[in-house]
Amino acid sequence: MRQPKIIIVGGGLAGLMAAIRVAEAGVTADLFSIVPVKRSHSVCAQGGINAAKNLKGEGDSTWKHFDDTIYGGDFLANQPLVKGMCEAAPAIIDLLDRMGVMFNRTPEGLLDFRRFGGTLYHRTAFAGATTGQQLLYALDEQVRRFEAEDKVKKFEGWTFLSAVLDHTGVCRGICAMDLKTMEIKTFACDAAIFCTGGIGAVFGRSTNSVVCTGSAQSALFQQGAYYANGEFIQVHPTAIPGEDKLRLMSESARGEGGRVWVPKTPQDPRPARQIPETERFYFLEEWYPKYGNLVPRDVATRAIHKVVYEMKMGLAGDPAVYLDVTHIPREVLERKLEGILEIYEKFVGVDPHVEPMKVFPAMHYTMGGLWVDNENQATNIPGVYAAGECEYQYHGANRLGANSLVSCIYGGGIAGAAAVRYARSLESGCENTSPAVYERERVRQQDISDALLNQHTGTENPLTIWREMGDIMTENVTVIRYNAALQKTLLKLDELSERFKRINLQDRTQWSNQTLNFVRELGNMLVLAKVITLGALARNETRGAHYKPEFPDRDDKNWLKTTKASWNAGKIQLEYEAVDTSLLPLRERKYTAAK
Amino acid sequence: MSVAAADSKTSYLLDKLQSLSGVVPIGAFLAEHFWSNSYALVSVGKYNDVSRELQQIPWRIMIETCVLFIPILFHGLYGCYIWWTGKSNAIGHPWMANWLYVLQRWTGIIAFVFIGWHLYTERFMGHGVTSYADVQRNLMNPWYLTFYIVGITCASFHLGNGLWNFACKWGIAVSVSAQRAAGWFGAAVAVAFTFIGVAIVIALHYGAFPLGGYVQ
Amino acid sequence: MADKTFIVKIKRQQRSDEAVRWEEYELRYRPHMNVIICLRDIAEKPFTRSGSESTPVSYEANCLEEICGACAMIVNGKPRQACTALVDDLEKPIRLEPLTKFPLIRDLQVDRSSMFENLKRTKCWIPIDGTYDLGPGPRMSPETQEVGYALSQCITCGNCLEICPKVNENSHFVGAAIVSQVRLFNMHPTGKMHAGPRLEALMGPGGIEDCDNAQNCVKVCPKGIPLTESLAAVNGQVLVHAVKSFFRGS
Repeated sequence: MRQPKIIIVGGGLAGLMAAIRVAEAGVTADLFSIVPVKRSHSVCAQGGINAAKNLKGEGDSTWKHFDDTIYGGDFLANQPLVKGMCEAAPAIIDLLDRMGVMFNRTPEGLLDFRRFGGTLYHRTAFAGATTGQQLLYALDEQVRRFEAEDKVKKFEGWTFLSAVLDHTGVCRGICAMDLKTMEIKTFACDAAIFCTGGIGAVFGRSTNSVVCTGSAQSALFQQGAYYANGEFIQVHPTAIPGEDKLRLMSESARGEGGRVWVPKTPQDPRPARQIPETERFYFLEEWYPKYGNLVPRDVATRAIHKVVYEMKMGLAGDPAVYLDVTHIPREVLERKLEGILEIYEKFVGVDPHVEPMKVFPAMHYTMGGLWVDNENQATNIPGVYAAGECEYQYHGANRLGANSLVSCIYGGGIAGAAAVRYARSLESGCENTSPAVYERERVRQQDISDALLNQHTGTENPLTIWREMGDIMTENVTVIRYNAALQKTLLKLDELSERFKRINLQDRTQWSNQTLNFVRELGNMLVLAKVITLGALARNETRGAHYKPEFPDRDDKNWLKTTKASWNAGKIQLEYEAVDTSLLPLRERKYTAAK
Repeated sequence: MSVAAADSKTSYLLDKLQSLSGVVPIGAFLAEHFWSNSYALVSVGKYNDVSRELQQIPWRIMIETCVLFIPILFHGLYGCYIWWTGKSNAIGHPWMANWLYVLQRWTGIIAFVFIGWHLYTERFMGHGVTSYADVQRNLMNPWYLTFYIVGITCASFHLGNGLWNFACKWGIAVSVSAQRAAGWFGAAVAVAFTFIGVAIVIALHYGAFPLGGYVQ
Repeated sequence: MADKTFIVKIKRQQRSDEAVRWEEYELRYRPHMNVIICLRDIAEKPFTRSGSESTPVSYEANCLEEICGACAMIVNGKPRQACTALVDDLEKPIRLEPLTKFPLIRDLQVDRSSMFENLKRTKCWIPIDGTYDLGPGPRMSPETQEVGYALSQCITCGNCLEICPKVNENSHFVGAAIVSQVRLFNMHPTGKMHAGPRLEALMGPGGIEDCDNAQNCVKVCPKGIPLTESLAAVNGQVLVHAVKSFFRGS
């Protein structure tokens, strides 16, 4: 029997899990990652991982987890695979436990579970405040073990440029660039699994890591892969604004009594402490007297957005509001919010016990992503699989907290096994693909780099284009969406794409040229930005994270369907696919009650 | 960085022996040496008696070779190699333990030179027979005296700090509090040894017998 | 009113075999800036203070919240993460240099793959039988979890190696981070069963004996990991293992 070849692109939770499954099946996996896999963005997840293990005698069940997930996602997710994920979750926790994850423990030495947003059950296993880091490390260690046994080969410091497709449109390899030598090479494989994570950089600043550009997804999209539900973008209500990144500020700050406000006088120059009580606008408490500062995530997010962008009342004109815990006794803060307030002090250099924190909603997660089928994590390009945040399958219109880690591991596992099955079933593998197919792709990619390097007349700065794209995407395509603003955004994106053609690469060296790589990513980001904006423009309803004041209700009659964007000769086309709601009947998702 | 690049455990064994030899026999001998020389603080006669006693032990040359010369030579020479594998950075990063590390390196070198010279002058030049008068004559020289004080201080520091290192490197003191306690113990040893050693040479220099009062 | 500015000096080197040059940039001050923002400012306007055109500075960065470990560099003489190096807290001019204990790639970017390689050589993983469902893992006391969790937060940034006087061209000490990981895996109920090979890996050249207790590592660990405790604990484990296997055979 011929030995199949599998390539995995991306070394976060999903990619590592896929690599483990491939190696376990006795197939060698080549694992490509921009950063050393241990530095992947999964490391940032804080809260925990959901699994209905029912260890607290509450009568929790995987069906209830499934119900919560579908309900939280406003019924846009295809139900069978979500059910599969929820059923697999308890075993995934056990597996991670066996891998040595330092989960928090009960006095009996069993796994401890906490309650998390939106659910009634203690369903979230956690390892301190860094669950994502702990899970990523556990999988990283397992992959390192396979690497020591030569079952996994890592290509760290390589970036994916494109898939190598043969004349029948089947994936036979990938084309990638070494970020140190800038060498562009093709690598043959029978199946490629993409676990390339989030797309935060499309919004400029987000809670995502630097590498979360969505460039790989966009490249595949431009080679014929469907991109589904791109318009569903989750925004976290309270993040610490930073010029470089928006860092999460946990909801527990409000849970412990933190109050959100802005000065009643826009651009009030006084420091927060000198503004008297009567001149403060506690907008959440005024608008939602029943829930006050503890309104659900999306409501809080929309309110803050409105205050800043519509009422122009952001602090000193900046997009920020106060999250104030200074009225809470110091000993309470130190007992209950310790680590969290430390993060603020560390990055802002201001003591939140004394000064109110400045926070703002931040783009956090994309529910949308590469379209995959209902059982194998397979995209519509034969031989291309996708798992993790870069695909669209598990979260519908809005992701439930602590579900992302479990979806990465579940999806990665399925993709790994499915890719091996597919590769083994091929009658003719990549070894029979003509070298010309690879060479053609390599030359195509080399030409793109060369054109950028040789363009000496450019005037546009890549970071400036990126910032303008991020600003308009954040303003118009995150929390509140108006069709006119979306139209305007599309025009702006067209303008930026035009300017992108006149880009000036300030660095023309052929050694660790980070500018060249960034510019190539930026080109792909611009395409993805358009996909997201077009999807949002078309969907005239409000569902999950997608909120249109002009269409304030969910419209199941017209819009209970998955958006599928495709690339047709440089044009983006949208089509729609029915959602599989065979297991749970539709019901209204209420924002005013807990559930 | 090549862990297990060579599977040989020789370097581990040599390192451990180097560390151990500093405590036993060298550290133990230093204690004994300071004890017996403390008779210089008592009286000439007592000092000479004890010296004669020690100079006449059976198997002397064998014991000296196995318990003193070889361990000191090994500890010192291998110590020089360890010295060579380090690169001090305490100027830019002046933390306490970092300074102790730097001092441990340099006091080791100074003590090694001093002990070599001390052995040469006091053991070999006198063919293994020295008396109070011989030692006192040498210590009348202020340069001798200065070198003795420096050498004794370095050796004492090196031993005290070495005991702290030993506690950490042999996994005896693991917790931060245990390491701190070991550090205080080492400091006490260093201070006590320095005090006793310096007292002996100064007493010899002046021919004084501060502890002689209750002898008769 | 003229904008407030400050100076950043950067040690630059196109490749490890090319000449070192120090470049000075004058940047516009804004509140809450960190070193990453400085580097992005330079990328947007890569002109030195004297006005000559340069290139954006190469550096590694990813999460920007001090958990991925990527952006370690020497800031004003101290190895630390650039993302938490706040301009307000730094003496000006700010001096940026690459870590010196790792091969240089370009500018502030170095190759720390040796650390991952050493994690491999020391077998820092729990050898599970497979990913199929074998039920829950071994029970663990909350106390053990607490110690383990502290150790498992190591972000492989390399600061502890950079600051260690025993990591240099004459000595190839694996460094406190790796030793601490060995301690982590040796304390796990399953990992414990396979402690021997890990300890033996630390007995060779570059192993645990190279630590000479300068204890700098613990001062620069951004995660506050008790590295000196780990070094002492693993020292004890290696010793016991060595004695046992000598007397009883391995």
